Amino acid sequence: MKIKYLLDEEEIPKKWYNVAADMPTPLDPPLHPGTLKPLSPQDMEMIFPKALIRQEMSTERWIDIPEEVRDIYRLWRPTPLYRAAALEKALKTPAKIYYKYEGVSPAGSHKPNTAVPQAYYNMKEGIERLATETGAGQWGSALSLATTLFGLKCTVYMVRSSYDSKPYRKSAMRVWGAECIPSPSDRTNYGRKVLAEMPNTPGSLGIAISEAVEDAASHDDTNYALGSVLNHVLLHQSIEGLELKKQFDLADDYPDVMFGCCGGGSNFPGMVFPFIPDKLKDKKDLRMVACEPSACPSLTKGLYAYDFGDTAGMAPVIKMFTLGHDFIPPGIHAGGLRYHGDAPLLCNLVHDGLIEATALQQNEVFEAATLFARNEGIIPAPEAAHAIKPAIDEALRCKKTGETKTIFISLTGHGHFDLAAYDAYNDGKLVDYEYPADLVKQSLANLPQA
Amino acid sequence: MADIVARIGFLINPIAGMGGSVGLKGTDGLADAAAARGAKPLASERAKACLQRLAKEAGHLFFFTASKSMGEDALRDCGLDFSVVHDASSPSGSEDTILACRAFLENGIDLLLFCGGDGTARDVASVAGQIPILGIPAGVKMHSGVFAISPEAAAELALGFIRGELLTRETEIVDVDEDLYRCGELQTRLYAAAKTPYKPVLVQERKRIYSSADEEEFKNQIALFASEFMRDGSAYVLGAGTTTARIAELLGMEKTLLGVDVIKDGKLLAKDAAELDLLELIANERSVKIILSPIGAQGFILGRGSQQISAEVLRRVGTENLIIISTPHKLAELPYLLADCGDKGLDRALSGRKRVVTGYRVAQLKEIKAATNI
Repeated sequence: MKIKYLLDEEEIPKKWYNVAADMPTPLDPPLHPGTLKPLSPQDMEMIFPKALIRQEMSTERWIDIPEEVRDIYRLWRPTPLYRAAALEKALKTPAKIYYKYEGVSPAGSHKPNTAVPQAYYNMKEGIERLATETGAGQWGSALSLATTLFGLKCTVYMVRSSYDSKPYRKSAMRVWGAECIPSPSDRTNYGRKVLAEMPNTPGSLGIAISEAVEDAASHDDTNYALGSVLNHVLLHQSIEGLELKKQFDLADDYPDVMFGCCGGGSNFPGMVFPFIPDKLKDKKDLRMVACEPSACPSLTKGLYAYDFGDTAGMAPVIKMFTLGHDFIPPGIHAGGLRYHGDAPLLCNLVHDGLIEATALQQNEVFEAATLFARNEGIIPAPEAAHAIKPAIDEALRCKKTGETKTIFISLTGHGHFDLAAYDAYNDGKLVDYEYPADLVKQSLANLPQA
Repeated sequence: MADIVARIGFLINPIAGMGGSVGLKGTDGLADAAAARGAKPLASERAKACLQRLAKEAGHLFFFTASKSMGEDALRDCGLDFSVVHDASSPSGSEDTILACRAFLENGIDLLLFCGGDGTARDVASVAGQIPILGIPAGVKMHSGVFAISPEAAAELALGFIRGELLTRETEIVDVDEDLYRCGELQTRLYAAAKTPYKPVLVQERKRIYSSADEEEFKNQIALFASEFMRDGSAYVLGAGTTTARIAELLGMEKTLLGVDVIKDGKLLAKDAAELDLLELIANERSVKIILSPIGAQGFILGRGSQQISAEVLRRVGTENLIIISTPHKLAELPYLLADCGDKGLDRALSGRKRVVTGYRVAQLKEIKAATNI
């Protein structure tokens, strides 16, 4: 049985796919947080380059990938598609399981797919430095890598608790020439304000975003970069799904069901969006399932409504499935999946019933990841492992029914920086969270009206 | 600890733990019987194991204590500075504990360190007020939240607190009815609340905004969430304990710490309600819900000690209307929670992996077991 389906470097796609061109329901526009009027391109120019703003607003189906970006993609792209033969054997399933592994990138995840073009477009427009935030460190690592390759400086505001508890992510960022600062910091007005009020705070992603945005907005030579949620991020990530379609052709196969982990939305939409036209136009019977943590189940238990993109209420107001911008998810180990909302493009398609969602508990996710590692070798990132558990369940269902379904797992990255989380699992110390949706609904319904 | 001289009240209940070794399940009122069965006093040795650790900071600590076996002897043996402020009777008793603690407080102390069991903790807590207390475990029963896991751990906690490295939390002082315990029944009763230093067992959580390792902050978060979802027109029965008390506090009411209060739409409906009051209320109200939190070191959410929320009350309210709340700290310390409402069938219905609200819009799944199955 063939295990790896590899494409040649020349087969790296030359265009990204923009799902906005094929949405059955048009996307609701993002709103200005102050005026609640639709956001104009000028509103965004303070922190984003014009090329990315054009992509953000575009409904063109195909957008050219610059040659300079493709040249860097060659360092690790195309990423391999694997047949999980050993896992199939262990499960004794008639189903065929495939996974595409993005952990082969220098930063160990799919995040450089958008970090590289973001750094490129900023460089082209004369920007000298990018500011960003990072929680668990994957995005900060990816942008540090991308900026150094284009000769830009990079400032990463890293949530203080992660800065202290994940020292090796910070080390990688330093090697790639970025400055990694624990947030809240004394670099920004917002950081100083938070520090004055709470000198011992471990920080949060919300605070770090506010610091990075303030840094970008207050320096002419500096822009801001975000690793998920935004339309242009999903556009860049479509390179994954475009490669995958060619690889399934090589395997002479086609998925019946696709699983991918979903936090704010970057890898999962990137992998499945290029399959949306198949479903819409060719009426393919394909299920696409976004896998999220039960601790932060925005797609499965959130409300489809306009909400702030950040905690402080300074980011654009966007239409999405949200648990409320004031919701602080508990500290699960899949730190990359802790976002109160999801990408508007993805939410729109979930709302239209084209994409499904499911929520998983930490312990079952790590159990599945361990089974995967013991058969396929790769130790998955805790985020990525959210896609493995339901894929295994599906394969076991096939075992009962005798179906030979083709199951696909999007494996976003390796878990080499997350081994402490595996230790916690093996020591029986992982907590399973459940979002109290009924009580939250009750509390929202009965809040005193202003 | 450069210039700090901490003032510590210190006492030993010399007979604590004697009953356990000879199968008496507690020593309250039975010290002579225990001695007759050959029990040896253990508390003094346990206390010394703690004091020897403290001795490394001897120059920075000053103790106030009771005479002879109630503290003086052990402190002298360990080479610590002290002043005897209470002359204990012989044999010493519960009254001596209370009088000694009063004398400590009159001398102005930072921490009250005692060696004993739940009975001693009750006596100490009845006097301590806002002064943090810390127990060196030596008793037969240690269900209260003020005990360190070992004498050595007690020393580390005491030093950490004195250095200003640790926070304090409000915890419950519970005890079991020894007569029933000796007949094989475990009835935990809540007697008081006390402040105690603690070291959070939780790992630092990532990305949490305004997060804090402070358990009291989590009680506030739970209370805030509860105050929001409690405005649905239902009558809410609040069980005993410091976590439920915080909800009432946030709503501007003083909760009966040891009893059961009822709140509806932010107003107090019944204070210190008895079982009959609750049954009458259930008959008259459209919707009734119960909020409980685990009590004591064994994690009883329903012990027979909370007689008011009886099996009958639970049955009429319906187990689906039971909301369990707890700080994540407490859950991390407990392997499971225990239900013991006096009806085995109901206890079984309550058991399994259940939702426990642990913060603002946050809940965990935790195993609940029927106490009769343990």
